[in-house]
Amino acid sequence: MNRFLATAAVALLLQTSALGVAHAQALNGNPLSDVRVRQALAYAIDRQLIVDAVFGGYAIAADGLLPNGPFKSPNLNAYPYDPEKAKALLAEAGWDSSRQLEMVFYYDDQITADLMAVLQAQLAEVGVDMTYHLIVGDVAKTLNSIPEDPKGKSVVTWDLAYGARAAMAMQEYFNDYVTGKASADGFPGASELDELIAASNSSTDPDANKATLMKIDEYLNTNVLTIPLYYQQLYSVESKRLNRNGEPHGNDQFNYDWNIQNWTVEPDANGKAVMYTNAAPIDYFEQPWVNLGLWAGNKLIWAHMLSAKPFLDGVAGGDLAESYVMSDDGKTLTMTLRDGIKWHDGDPITVDDVTFSLEFALKTPNLHGVVASTLNSIEGAAEYVAGTAEHVAGISADGNTITIKFAKVNANVLLSFTQWGPFPKKYFEGVDPTLVQQAEFWQKPIGSGPFMVEEAKFGDFSSFVPFADYYEGKPKIDQVIAWASADGDVNMVKNAAANRIDFAITKVVSDIEAIKALDFMQLTPLDIPYTRMMWINQYDK
Amino acid sequence: MLTYIVRRLLIIVPMAIGISFLVYLALDLSPGDAVSRMLSPERTVDPAKLAELRKALGLDAPLLVRFWIWFSGVLQGNFGRTLTGGVPISRILMERLPATLELSVIALVLSSIFGAILGTISALRRRGTTTDNVLTVAGMIGVSIPEFFFGLVAIVVFALNLQWLPVGGRLLPSYTSYWDHIPNLVMPALVLSIMMTAGVMRYARSAMLDALSREFIKTARSKGLPEWRVNLLHGFRVALTPVIVLIGFRLPILIGGSVIVEQVFQWPGLGSLFVMAVRNKDLPVVMTIALLTVILVLVVSLIVDILTAIIDPRVRLGN
Repeated sequence: MNRFLATAAVALLLQTSALGVAHAQALNGNPLSDVRVRQALAYAIDRQLIVDAVFGGYAIAADGLLPNGPFKSPNLNAYPYDPEKAKALLAEAGWDSSRQLEMVFYYDDQITADLMAVLQAQLAEVGVDMTYHLIVGDVAKTLNSIPEDPKGKSVVTWDLAYGARAAMAMQEYFNDYVTGKASADGFPGASELDELIAASNSSTDPDANKATLMKIDEYLNTNVLTIPLYYQQLYSVESKRLNRNGEPHGNDQFNYDWNIQNWTVEPDANGKAVMYTNAAPIDYFEQPWVNLGLWAGNKLIWAHMLSAKPFLDGVAGGDLAESYVMSDDGKTLTMTLRDGIKWHDGDPITVDDVTFSLEFALKTPNLHGVVASTLNSIEGAAEYVAGTAEHVAGISADGNTITIKFAKVNANVLLSFTQWGPFPKKYFEGVDPTLVQQAEFWQKPIGSGPFMVEEAKFGDFSSFVPFADYYEGKPKIDQVIAWASADGDVNMVKNAAANRIDFAITKVVSDIEAIKALDFMQLTPLDIPYTRMMWINQYDK
Repeated sequence: MLTYIVRRLLIIVPMAIGISFLVYLALDLSPGDAVSRMLSPERTVDPAKLAELRKALGLDAPLLVRFWIWFSGVLQGNFGRTLTGGVPISRILMERLPATLELSVIALVLSSIFGAILGTISALRRRGTTTDNVLTVAGMIGVSIPEFFFGLVAIVVFALNLQWLPVGGRLLPSYTSYWDHIPNLVMPALVLSIMMTAGVMRYARSAMLDALSREFIKTARSKGLPEWRVNLLHGFRVALTPVIVLIGFRLPILIGGSVIVEQVFQWPGLGSLFVMAVRNKDLPVVMTIALLTVILVLVVSLIVDILTAIIDPRVRLGN
């Protein structure tokens, strides 16, 4: 009944005629608050040229924030490259050509520098003078600071900002546009958009939210609140020694049902099946609740409560939980743990580990946003975090079953539990959750996934070996050797050329081109939700 | 000389403290802190939780208090823990310092020997000779080619094409003894050495030419001394002074400065650690490496002064 009412409310909301109306005038002292100026910027940018010239064709020109696929609205204006139209719109808006726009960005790579130069030239062609610079220091603060009063003066100097959204849940594209939310979107807010965003978060059924999400994308598109530039593909880099044995490719930026335990690799001269990869930690293993799909140091070691479909478009089934039940009103989740599941040290994984970890996670400072939103929706979470309750009221356990009651419906409950798994309680008792990452545990974590840490020579490599008691069976690969590297491994191609990479992922154009030239390697493009965009600061200046 | 040495050693302490404080101050003045660097710019985090983390890491304390906590720890032999991962810095130093030292020391020794010898030969052969021309051009190429380019060419030739040496890294799971990783050391050490040799050679050549043009060389020759004696005992000895200064001050730079070679050859030394720590604003790590470098610079400066006084009779310490 509640789902029916929610759907009906959304349907009514979507029929509201006022939605999507763009006000053709500046709303404050900032000319970027005039939709005509923003539309002009959108028409001035040749996205296809950028894709072809800057990204070598390894990207897709974007017309909306949501990626191509089931959530894509058919009603988006692509703002095809039209400098004459851009000039006309600017003239109509009374654009002051002596005004200079300040663009900021936070990627310090050459391709971003090239992109900035192209954008500068394209905007100059329609009479918009733009300068750009890399943000250093407190990047998040520079990007995300907003005035207390949405009608107040902007507290940042930038006019345009280049950034990205690598979304796990589609709502992530839009939740930041809520009035008063400190974020980089630069939009002071609108009640009609707030209502749509709230509606898009009102059901745990992705299909029920789809129409609303499309409508939000249309709203942003009509009003040019943000200019989507391109969708970036992720590439799976694999050697021909590696055989996934039919197991699926998916969104490797997150966790999915990839069944690495079934992968095989050709044995070496000693008959040992060693898979070489990268992204091993440099000084310590990252705790897995932040960068959820962090390769090697995270995905190999940790299992999760549930398991996601390859492109996170639903739940594939249980992971540590054998079964789960979501109540019809979307406010109670029951998960039953499998029998006989173990930590890498041989101890059983218990309900106590799960309930402890849920409470522990609530007090950690740096949880992934979607997971944080889910956990904070649990009944009594706020009181527990504030210190007024000893435990979270909404979490209970009975035998092997954990019941979680939510104070409000959270759209991504199931998705969150496909990415979140417990820590072994005994290693974290007495650890301050605020300093979770600083715990000694992360020098050699005891996990629950298919591989366990054998040795970590930080800065050099980490070695992982199969976990014999993994509930889905002992992995067939004898050893995984991962070379230490930071995000965006600059040595990946070199290692691949020397037969030292069997699996890696990349989005770097030059890497993709170089790997293509190696006949013993193969590339698989993966369409993931990853949109690069240009935020527009519309606050008063 | 002894009084001079003692005085210089005593000066090292306040200078190390002063320079450390200035480095700490400069880092503190740059925008952001370790907590803000831990966050992805694409994600917003509850400010209250960030404030708790800052407090837990001691970042909310005034500058002087933080500096004193760090410095008093160092006085007790405790370098603290990294802010980002809570790893004891002494453990990181134990892991990384050997990698840095073996690379730096080999590069320094090889470049000093070959640089001084080749520079001297180049100077003695006089301008315009084939040897001088070849060495001069080689020296110019050596100082002009960026390390990363030279390193990558070496990798393509010796690791990928000839497959004589590993492509990079320092250790492998299969290594059981210290000597196992020597093949990994060869390329980065030689690339660094060759780049540095070029610099020393150019410097030694100039110093030698300068020394050979001095009056005391003419005097030595007029005394009828054999040419090799004039060149080596009189010319080379004096020419060595500026070369020693150059070589001496390269060691501290190498401790934190062979970043590019470390990066290209995936060598886990202090240089890449330092750069990462600066980016993460992990002050205890940056300060520890900076302090080591400062002390090394001051000690090397003293050693260079002493060596100069020993080699060059015109130099008198303490006057």
